[in-house]
Amino acid sequence: MMKAFHYLLVVCFLCICSCEEVVTIDTGDLEERVIIEGQVINAPDQSFIKLTKSRDFYADGPADRITNAEVQIRIDESEVVSFLHNPENDPLMEGYYLPIGDFIGQIGSSYELQVTVEGVVYEAVEEMLPVTSIDSLTTKFNEDEFEEPDEEGRFFEVLLNAYEPQDRKDQYLFKFYRNDTLVQNFPTDVYVIDDLILSDRIDDLTIAGFYAIGESAEVEMYSLTPEAFVFYSDLANLLNGDGGMFSPPPANPRNNLSNGALGYFQVSALATEQIIVFDPRQD
Amino acid sequence: MCRYFLILFSVLSIGLVHAQEKFTVNGYVRDAKSGEELLGVTVYVKEKNTGVITNDYGFYSLTLDQGEYTFSFSFIGYETFDQKVLLGQNETININLSEESLELNEVVVTAERPDQNVVDLQMSKNEINIAQVKKLPALFGEPDIIKTIQMMPGVISAGEGTSSFFVRGGSADQNLILIDEAPVYDPSHLFGLFSVFNSDVIKSTELFKGGTPAQYGGRLSSVLDVRTKDGNNQEFRGDAGIGSLASSIMLEGPIKKDKSSFIFSARRSYVDVFLRAANQDNLVYFYDINAKVNWRISDKDRIFLALYTGRDDFDFGLDFGFDWGNRTATLRWNHLFNDRLFSNTTFVANRFDYGLASSSEANAFNWDSNLRELSFKEDLNYYISPALTLDFGYHLTYRKFAPGVIEPGPESILKRAELQNERALDHAIYLSIKHQITDKLTLDYGGRLSYFQNVGDYTLYTYADPQDNVNPIRLDSTQYGNFENIVDYLNFEPRFNARYLLNGDASLKFSYQRMVQNTHLISSGTVPVPFNTWAPSSTFLKPQKADQWALGYFKNFKNNMYELSLEAYYKDIQNVTDFADNASIFFNRDLSTEFRQGVSEAYGAEVMIQKNRGPLTGFVSYTWSRVDRTVDGVNQGRTFFANYDRRNTFNVVATYEHSAKWTFGGSFTFGTGRPITIPSGSYEYGENYIPDIITERNGYRLPAYHRMDLSATLVPQKVRKNPNIETSWVFGLYNLYSRKNPFTLFTTIQIDDDGNIIGDGTIKEARMIYLFPILPSITYNIKF
Repeated sequence: MMKAFHYLLVVCFLCICSCEEVVTIDTGDLEERVIIEGQVINAPDQSFIKLTKSRDFYADGPADRITNAEVQIRIDESEVVSFLHNPENDPLMEGYYLPIGDFIGQIGSSYELQVTVEGVVYEAVEEMLPVTSIDSLTTKFNEDEFEEPDEEGRFFEVLLNAYEPQDRKDQYLFKFYRNDTLVQNFPTDVYVIDDLILSDRIDDLTIAGFYAIGESAEVEMYSLTPEAFVFYSDLANLLNGDGGMFSPPPANPRNNLSNGALGYFQVSALATEQIIVFDPRQD
Repeated sequence: MCRYFLILFSVLSIGLVHAQEKFTVNGYVRDAKSGEELLGVTVYVKEKNTGVITNDYGFYSLTLDQGEYTFSFSFIGYETFDQKVLLGQNETININLSEESLELNEVVVTAERPDQNVVDLQMSKNEINIAQVKKLPALFGEPDIIKTIQMMPGVISAGEGTSSFFVRGGSADQNLILIDEAPVYDPSHLFGLFSVFNSDVIKSTELFKGGTPAQYGGRLSSVLDVRTKDGNNQEFRGDAGIGSLASSIMLEGPIKKDKSSFIFSARRSYVDVFLRAANQDNLVYFYDINAKVNWRISDKDRIFLALYTGRDDFDFGLDFGFDWGNRTATLRWNHLFNDRLFSNTTFVANRFDYGLASSSEANAFNWDSNLRELSFKEDLNYYISPALTLDFGYHLTYRKFAPGVIEPGPESILKRAELQNERALDHAIYLSIKHQITDKLTLDYGGRLSYFQNVGDYTLYTYADPQDNVNPIRLDSTQYGNFENIVDYLNFEPRFNARYLLNGDASLKFSYQRMVQNTHLISSGTVPVPFNTWAPSSTFLKPQKADQWALGYFKNFKNNMYELSLEAYYKDIQNVTDFADNASIFFNRDLSTEFRQGVSEAYGAEVMIQKNRGPLTGFVSYTWSRVDRTVDGVNQGRTFFANYDRRNTFNVVATYEHSAKWTFGGSFTFGTGRPITIPSGSYEYGENYIPDIITERNGYRLPAYHRMDLSATLVPQKVRKNPNIETSWVFGLYNLYSRKNPFTLFTTIQIDDDGNIIGDGTIKEARMIYLFPILPSITYNIKF
């Protein structure tokens, strides 16, 4: 969250006096890299491993999928679960590997990922940490947005309330949905927070976006390991950097994958809460 | 180490043995009009072919055999003054020099000895002529010495709109920036658009890039010594300026004529208006206040008190604001112990702080960070003979670093958090011996012994892996009490300068210096922002050390009309402080795990031709330079170009006094593009992120930077009723041919001008930011 202020400063400075122009850069040749996006969640049908290839900077459209890999996860150093590529042959699920059988992540368990692509093995180990539950979501009328709404009818904020356990170290990732569509204030926003500076009450925390009466607002709150928090912070820095003038020079996010694979193998407990947006002034 | 000093002292005593029937002449050299002491004036004894230079307080002392002499006092911009001295007793001779008039400039053709550029022992030094700076074109018409410094040979800027400068391969935090001997930790206003130096009060500005006098220490690459005026002790007068961006007023005058004077100056911006932000609740401004008084108690004692405070304040409605500022106070006592021993005792207190605040309910907080410093300095100049001068002294500095406290607001989800304060003591003794060996050869040898202590109270943690910045594991802790030593570093910094006069108004100079830096800037960007903190050397952060060798050739042409300086240097930095890739430097409790130290190598060659006389004055400078870094844990340990590496830089600065009415100024600057990190590819992650793939730090270069500015100063005919009032208009054009100079380059998903995503959000693009197009400015000045 503090980082957000850093961006803001940079943005303030640049807005004062700058102009922008699209330029073409010579990015050179890239050695192809394997991208792993994995997630193990303590809820049914939420765990998957997605494998893609790196793309040229100026590439257009989705990245090439890797469809011929061997993927497995070992749980607590014993049971091994294999993941199969797109078992239902859904064209939208190209590159996704899904577990065979019922697979639900358990808080406290450790998961060891092994991905083999063309004879090269990529590995990661991650533990599932608990997540606090969301007490409630409430709504709030926003005067400024009402006067000049960015989108017709959407001028209610949604606020989140939760208890933050102070006796353990927690890191959280948030995702927000409006009628099942992901909401971000800006496409490069990454909503993560470290409890280092959080008090025991997370009250009236505004979630991204504005909502209209009757729309559904949903919050997903994921637990992150410190390593995963670092990955998402680095990702946010990379996506929002200024090229190294005031911000640090861009660098690949630190991750838990071996052998130079990019992406992250995320293992999270998930808490969700949903409301249908109402006008709080009519209570 | 002690032995080294003993040898030095025995060398000195050789000079003392021959003392017989000698007398001392001493005194101050002052500006005839204002009574301001002039520093750096050459006092030359024609009969002896020797001389001294007035010290930082305008004092000189010469000890000579009984006899008849002609002393020649010369200083750039002033008429040379010859004084016959019949020496039969100790004498005090104070000299007032008059400013050179324009007409005189052109008729003087008498043969003169080469000026300081050739004769002075000091090399790698640039003086900034403040009168000229005021006539040069400036961004928004606001004269700024830092912008002129950025055009000196061996100095590189990261781009326009920044107050950082990079000297001979050193980073921005390796410059010791002093205002009346007090260090300024952040010299920027408005994130670097302007510097904190108000040109109304500046008396002298010296930049040391090498051969640094032993009196200075603590930073690796340069010393920028800015001294403010003491205040006119002859008559009351003032200056006022109204610019497009800021207005200023300066008042000075005697409190008691010849004894005591004061100067006061204030400057405030109206960027708020400029930004057209005033119609909202936004508030953006900066100000500077300089105040100084001095009192000559007797011929032997003088006291100065100088204060500076400057601040930037940004408030964005009710939600968010930040501010930063420097405050310094310098109390100085000049004392003459005897005719030949000059003492300056200084107390400096200063504070740099910044704050961030948000009042938006759930996120409300106040964040404060500061750095406080108290210094005591005793500096002595001992004038043994014209051929032998000793500078020595003792410095003690205490610093307290308070990197940050977060105070949550009443409704906030945040809790109070505080980073540990750190404390440090810095001791140094130094000795520098200026020794004229023969008519042609003069040496300056000596050194500085610095002893640094990181002290409590502090809780020092040990880590399972001190460089694990992902999941740092604290193993153990040790508690240190108040001023208890945690870790200390002793360093000897040799300094050596040599000058050999060649035939034909030329000289060769050589210098070697070691500099040690125990105060480190915690910044991983190219240009520091005021929200960076500083940290002392510690268990995890070793002192940075730089050795620099420089060789130069200096020649004057046409009776000192033109000065040519050629220099080459090589600099080797050990333990250069850097940060791990992805380092998190804001509010990090385990900040030490982000430190990475390595080596840096820099070398280059500089040419400068300066013209100080005549209607046309100015300089041309060219620098070829290179600097790289090799740091474990940064760029996978591979060598990379430093952020501020520019191969070629070329600058021209000129002013032309066309008539008493019109003066024209112009400048041109060119620099090779600076290195930048760009992606070699990208990938998909999550619902909509397309992060870049980075394979090499600083592997790409921005396009070259170049810009031309022009200015014209108009001094209308004086108003007959008030002959004491002088007015002037300065008209400026910045970036004459509106070059789109690259500031930085970043990547984003393809967006249109309104920031909306084009297409399915999978296409990336690179965008270059450039700052100012052609910008006119007008400033109105009035002197009374």
